[in-house]
Amino acid sequence: MQLKNVIESPCGLRYMLDQLELQSGYARRWLLDSPMMTSEEEIAAAYGVLRRFSQFIDQVEKTYIDTLLFKLQGLKDIRTTIRNLSQHAVLDDIELFEVKHLAILATDVARLLQQHGMDAVVEIPALDEVIAILDPDGMKIATFYIYDSYCAQLKDLRSQMRQHPDQQDDLLAQASELEEGVRQDLSRQLHPFADAMGQAQAALALIDVNLAKALQIKQLGLSFPTMSPDGTSHYRAMFHPQVKDALASRARKFQPVDIGFGHHPTLITGANMGGKTVVLKTLTLCQYLFQFAFGIPALEARIAVKDEIYFCIGDEQSVEKGLSSFAAEMKNIDAVIKASRMNKKLLALIDEPARTTNPTEGAALVTALLKVLADKDMSLVMTTHYDIEPGDARCLRVKGFENGEMDYQLVEVQSGEVPHEALNIAQSLGIDNEWINTARSLLESCPPS
Amino acid sequence: MLPFIDEILRYDSLSIVGLEKNTGKTECLKYVLDRLPVQDKRIAVTSIGIDGETVDQVTRTQKPEIVLREGMYFGTSEMHYRQRRLVSELIDVSDETTSLGRVVTARALTGGKILLSGPSSASSLRRWMGEMRRLDIDLVVIDGALSRMSSASPAVSQSMILATGAAYSANISTLVSKTAHVVDLVNLDLTSKGNIARLMPLDKGVWSIDKDGNLSSLEAVTSLSRDIHFEGMEQCETLYVAGALVDGFLEKVRKNKSLKQVELVVRDFTKIFVSPQQFRLFHKGGGRIHVLQRSRLIAVTVNPTSPSGYVLDSDMLCGKLSEAIGLPVYDLLKNKQ
Repeated sequence: MQLKNVIESPCGLRYMLDQLELQSGYARRWLLDSPMMTSEEEIAAAYGVLRRFSQFIDQVEKTYIDTLLFKLQGLKDIRTTIRNLSQHAVLDDIELFEVKHLAILATDVARLLQQHGMDAVVEIPALDEVIAILDPDGMKIATFYIYDSYCAQLKDLRSQMRQHPDQQDDLLAQASELEEGVRQDLSRQLHPFADAMGQAQAALALIDVNLAKALQIKQLGLSFPTMSPDGTSHYRAMFHPQVKDALASRARKFQPVDIGFGHHPTLITGANMGGKTVVLKTLTLCQYLFQFAFGIPALEARIAVKDEIYFCIGDEQSVEKGLSSFAAEMKNIDAVIKASRMNKKLLALIDEPARTTNPTEGAALVTALLKVLADKDMSLVMTTHYDIEPGDARCLRVKGFENGEMDYQLVEVQSGEVPHEALNIAQSLGIDNEWINTARSLLESCPPS
Repeated sequence: MLPFIDEILRYDSLSIVGLEKNTGKTECLKYVLDRLPVQDKRIAVTSIGIDGETVDQVTRTQKPEIVLREGMYFGTSEMHYRQRRLVSELIDVSDETTSLGRVVTARALTGGKILLSGPSSASSLRRWMGEMRRLDIDLVVIDGALSRMSSASPAVSQSMILATGAAYSANISTLVSKTAHVVDLVNLDLTSKGNIARLMPLDKGVWSIDKDGNLSSLEAVTSLSRDIHFEGMEQCETLYVAGALVDGFLEKVRKNKSLKQVELVVRDFTKIFVSPQQFRLFHKGGGRIHVLQRSRLIAVTVNPTSPSGYVLDSDMLCGKLSEAIGLPVYDLLKNKQ
């Protein structure tokens, strides 16, 4: 599973990537190709590097960081060239230019990092020999051609060209044979450095990505998580950056939420518009951010590593593919149940399952789902509007509508009983009175059992 | 030396625009490049609008080669760089690709021939021009094809030379009036500095600025649609068309009473596709059209020979055209002889 496979998840991962100020297109591709980490050691190591970069940008002057960022803008994707080099191909002038450009860039960046002891954090292989091969005159600039000093005969032909432009075509033909010989020779000399070039390119991408993540932590007020070894996860003052920004643009504030979950299924109930779906979205987002080693949008976060993450929400894409919304949802949840039997550590976040069918069967499906998943080794968080028997599940409820305002905090309750606030909320939205009042009188004359 | 070389050197960029194929644009480019003082000035050359237009893969007619002199910088595609017939030093390889590969910037170490095919989008041209400034280039020369396929516009350059000729029309008076119309468009005044800053980033849609300076998008109006209904436009002071300006739209603006005093703004002359008649009517009614970017037109060159071999009287053509547009007009081939 690579980042690019989950980037369009409805949890809002794409927004976090869009907010990431990467300097090079190559670093973006490199990040999208990176696999989701599923071992504690790997994740801890990645956060170790990120933490060093985070301290680094706090400690050094801004102009220094700006210089580094500006340098990284020069990072290009030359994987094809490096592959050609490792396969003994003869590189052309453009490819040789790319090799020289990368070698000089890597050396410059390594020198900048060295000044602050950051060279131990990300190791960039030394490429001085590559530069020496492609810079025979010691000019130390990142331009390239088949220099005169590679071949005395070539130098001679070129000065003839300048003196006798009328013989240019003939002289060029002779020169191009000599140039090809030089290219063969250079490619042979450079071949042993192909691996080091590849490592240098990846190291520069890693630096670009970590600087961007560290800057994002500052900009969005994210935090470093701690590892939870017991399979449970806990968040204090968790928020969803995209929703927060959207609210801020309408001069409204996002109310952060505290939540913990783990061994037992967690059932979230609460009024409409109470932010239940946003809670699930944020939990999914945080889990992905954790396993790709980004800053976490919460004041504090203690997170358990999972092998697989399932976020089941009314999926419009499946509906576009021609599946009914019920069928699409059932298939998604079915995948969770199948995966739960595979002896893997799972996190499943399911938003209002079976909401599009009749309430009798819907409630039965949800109760059964809770029963089926309860004895599996997984973390499950589910929202519902149905009144169901929670069994083993922990029940959380959105505080709800109080004094004309929505309180989005979650409180622990003893049963899964759902609040009956739909009509009040509809009324506060200014929905047609005749409709709402008729519904109210229907409820009064025939209250639900 | 013809006087316009001195004038070219007063600007940091020049585009050479042909009104039709075979109007002598390439001749003009060669003429200019041969005469620029390459010893004292850093000169860079590129071409815009190549996407399948000038290199015709079907008919195999190829874009003519340009002869560069030692020391000149140039921007071309990877493919054409590999086919170069000169010795040159690579300076930059861009991330942006054209249909012929990435754009490569290099410096000629000997004179020789090269096919030019540079940045083909407005943003990549802008970036390339920025790169040239970073390299302390004194003058950028753009081979500026007029093309609806390419968003790169020659109007980004400070100065311009137009190439016209018998290929554009084989009748002297038609050729003069058609060319004069283009010259009128090239010479349209700039809108206010404030408007330029606000409107330049908008590359789609129709926008209105009201008397209080509020900028809003006219969601329901597209400049190409047939039934345009302007509503509530009494407060509109400036109307900006980001895309193409066509006859139908101009006519609607002219006939709309509430838009009598409006300032109509387009990006540059390459976005105007209105007939000389509509353009004149609009002006007669007191209408104003302004642009966000313009080049100073230095001269017009003519090629009196049409592709079919018909030859117009060069002196008469130059005289009549010069009289109509108030600018010097040259027949470069004739002057060479």
